[in-house]
Amino acid sequence: MVEEGSTLLRRMEISVAEAEKRTGKNTVNMQEIFTVYLIETRPIDAITEGHNPAPDSLWRRYSEFEILRNYLLVTYPFIVVPPLPEKRAEFVWHKLSADNMDPDFVERRRVGLENFLLRVASHSVLSNDKILYHFLTEADSRIKALSATFRVKNPDKRFTEMKHYSDELQSLTSQLLRVRARVADRLYGVYKVHGNYGRVFSEWSALEKEMGDGLQSAGHHMDAYAASVDDMLEEEEHYADQLKEYLFYAEALRAVCRKHELTQYELETASSDLISKKQQREELATGMVRTFSFKGMTNKLFGQETPEQREAKLSLLEEQIVQGEETVTEKTVECEEYVKGAWVDMQRFKEQKDRDLREALIGYAVMQISMCKKGIQVWTNAKECFHKM
Amino acid sequence: MSACTPKSLASSGQKPIQEMCHPLGAEEAVLTPSPDVRNITSSIGEKDQILPNGTPVETSSPSSSSSLLNRLQLDDDLDGETRDLFVTVDDPKKHVSTMETYITYRVVTKTTRVEFDLPEYTVRRRYQDFDWLRTKLEDSQPTHLIPPLPEKFVMKGVVDRFSEEFVETRRKALDKFLKRVADHPVLSFNEHLNSFLSAKDLNKRQGLALLSKMGESVKYVTGGYKLRGRPVEFSAMGDYLDMFTQKLGTIDRIAQRIIKEQSEYQVELREYGPVYTTWALSEAELQGPLEGVASCMANCSSALDELTQDMSEDFLPVLREYVLYIESMKIVLKKRDNIQAEYEAKLEAAAFRKEEKASCTQVPTDVEKCHDRVECCNADLKSDWDRWQNNKRQDFRQLLTGMADHNIQYYEKCLAAWESVIPLLRDKQPQETETEED
Repeated sequence: MVEEGSTLLRRMEISVAEAEKRTGKNTVNMQEIFTVYLIETRPIDAITEGHNPAPDSLWRRYSEFEILRNYLLVTYPFIVVPPLPEKRAEFVWHKLSADNMDPDFVERRRVGLENFLLRVASHSVLSNDKILYHFLTEADSRIKALSATFRVKNPDKRFTEMKHYSDELQSLTSQLLRVRARVADRLYGVYKVHGNYGRVFSEWSALEKEMGDGLQSAGHHMDAYAASVDDMLEEEEHYADQLKEYLFYAEALRAVCRKHELTQYELETASSDLISKKQQREELATGMVRTFSFKGMTNKLFGQETPEQREAKLSLLEEQIVQGEETVTEKTVECEEYVKGAWVDMQRFKEQKDRDLREALIGYAVMQISMCKKGIQVWTNAKECFHKM
Repeated sequence: MSACTPKSLASSGQKPIQEMCHPLGAEEAVLTPSPDVRNITSSIGEKDQILPNGTPVETSSPSSSSSLLNRLQLDDDLDGETRDLFVTVDDPKKHVSTMETYITYRVVTKTTRVEFDLPEYTVRRRYQDFDWLRTKLEDSQPTHLIPPLPEKFVMKGVVDRFSEEFVETRRKALDKFLKRVADHPVLSFNEHLNSFLSAKDLNKRQGLALLSKMGESVKYVTGGYKLRGRPVEFSAMGDYLDMFTQKLGTIDRIAQRIIKEQSEYQVELREYGPVYTTWALSEAELQGPLEGVASCMANCSSALDELTQDMSEDFLPVLREYVLYIESMKIVLKKRDNIQAEYEAKLEAAAFRKEEKASCTQVPTDVEKCHDRVECCNADLKSDWDRWQNNKRQDFRQLLTGMADHNIQYYEKCLAAWESVIPLLRDKQPQETETEED
């Protein structure tokens, strides 16, 4: 599971030791309860020397892990970044708790988060990341700032909206699946209890003379009613599967939007790089210092460089500027093509989604209708039996 | 059971009177309401339709008219003669006085019997009065089964004695009680019943009457004699009652459990629908369909509410009341046992005396009287038992049919909701409002 010869992990022991509940204010200033996880780290050499110092520790919540992972995804787009455990307790029916506060779920998540950190810290490329190191050791809000600084300045507005939509879609389908499973569980209970009528009517019919037959057959219908729920709920799973598909589709949609952000980010970075290089060239050429720089200060303090040095610097800058302009052109084209292509496919996806989900809803309604008709049938049969009592 | 404000019993699509079959006619004939007592009577504003024999009818589904016939035919078989005494208990009203607050019920009587001075009476009675009547009947007809009353004492603070639900449940039970008495070939001619139905004010003489009545019934129930040989048929009755009580208990528990499961289902359902509504906000073309599904679920949810409430109000109280009816029957059986035991003891004592005084050849008259009493009691009991069995059969047929009806209605409502949403789901309307470009 953990690679041999790993870098960070060789220097440091990492674990997600505990989980605790906290209350706090969220982004819309409302009270919420959330779980925080304790990240503990210890330098390995200290342990091998037999000191056994207390570990450094800090608390982080799930959303911070998410920010870290998103950062890694974008910064190392060619790396298969390890996944995080489930954000929410997923669609279970039958008894398993769907509650994020459930101790079992929290424990499983703790293990999953630890696993994530171990995998990242043992990755030959990812483990060297500074931000990762800060995440594990610095209890400041740099992580929060990270999600801000890394933001793109001028993304295509449509993509931003689409990303927002994909988040909504993901959250809603997930919630829908969860509640549907609970509804199914309860419905199961209602139907099954009616089976008890079957038994008691049968017992009672043994006591009766004239009423016996009617009761007995009514009891059979109650048994049939109780048994019918199994098939009906099995059919409903098909609807759940259709929703699940779009839950995962939402993730894919989101990835497309994020990729746009990345290409845009690279373009913006290349552009601002170019601008600063041009500024430097101007300063060198004219001798005017526009902006404060450390170099400028040392020049003032310790004397300026020689004309040869300046010439060398200038020509280097010219080269870099030419390269930079090429890069900017490349990136601009890349960006535009991406936007065009992605937008076309996103439209296609939207139409497909509307079609598919409409069909899914129709299918669901048809299932409900069938269930109602069966219910009417069974109770009508039972009623006839009661008449004959 | 439900948290919403207690409401009156949900009336569920009854047939108007004109559409119901005449009970004595073979085909469906159009009826006009007539003052003739033998036709179906109904008072305006009353929820239940009433048949000639006085039992209420639940006409909630189209197929009920045939069931109506079935029920009526059985009743006609029960007593060969046509009915001439009809009673109804309705219109509960609250009375507030300085001393107490209580409910009175209107008791309406229609009759052609000569024992009554007038053909119609309307009086107001409270629970105490019914209790008085029952006690009087028990005293004057000790060998007969007197139908039970609903529970007398209610824990204050646990149940609201003045809530619509409670009052309605009680009214129905009192109505049933009076109808059962009025149907009885012996009890219905009792003078106390006559007073109860006709007198302006009941002269109850509570204090003394209470004491004396205690003495009488206690004597018959506890006796003091040991029973030698109980005839098999009466033992069988006792056994039946015990087993039947058990079954009723089980049914009660199942019904309660179902209500509980349905409530929990309801909780989840109430969370389910709104998720579709929230989702609709993020969508353009799917907004209509999603909102349609959400409102459909809201309809199903309220249909479920009604089902649960109906079962709580109609089914459970009647089931529980039957336990009281069984208890009354058991008491009658016990009384019979005691009368027989008394006779056996007296017979034995007479036999001893006979041995001592060889001259005595004839059976002493008090022993003979006892013997007569035993025979009379047994006969009364047998006929009451048959009547009880028939009533039970009818009552449970009605109860269980009602349960089936409630469930059928629930599913019909849900079916209608889902069927109406299908065209909405299929219909693709062009978006008129400006939406996001996605």
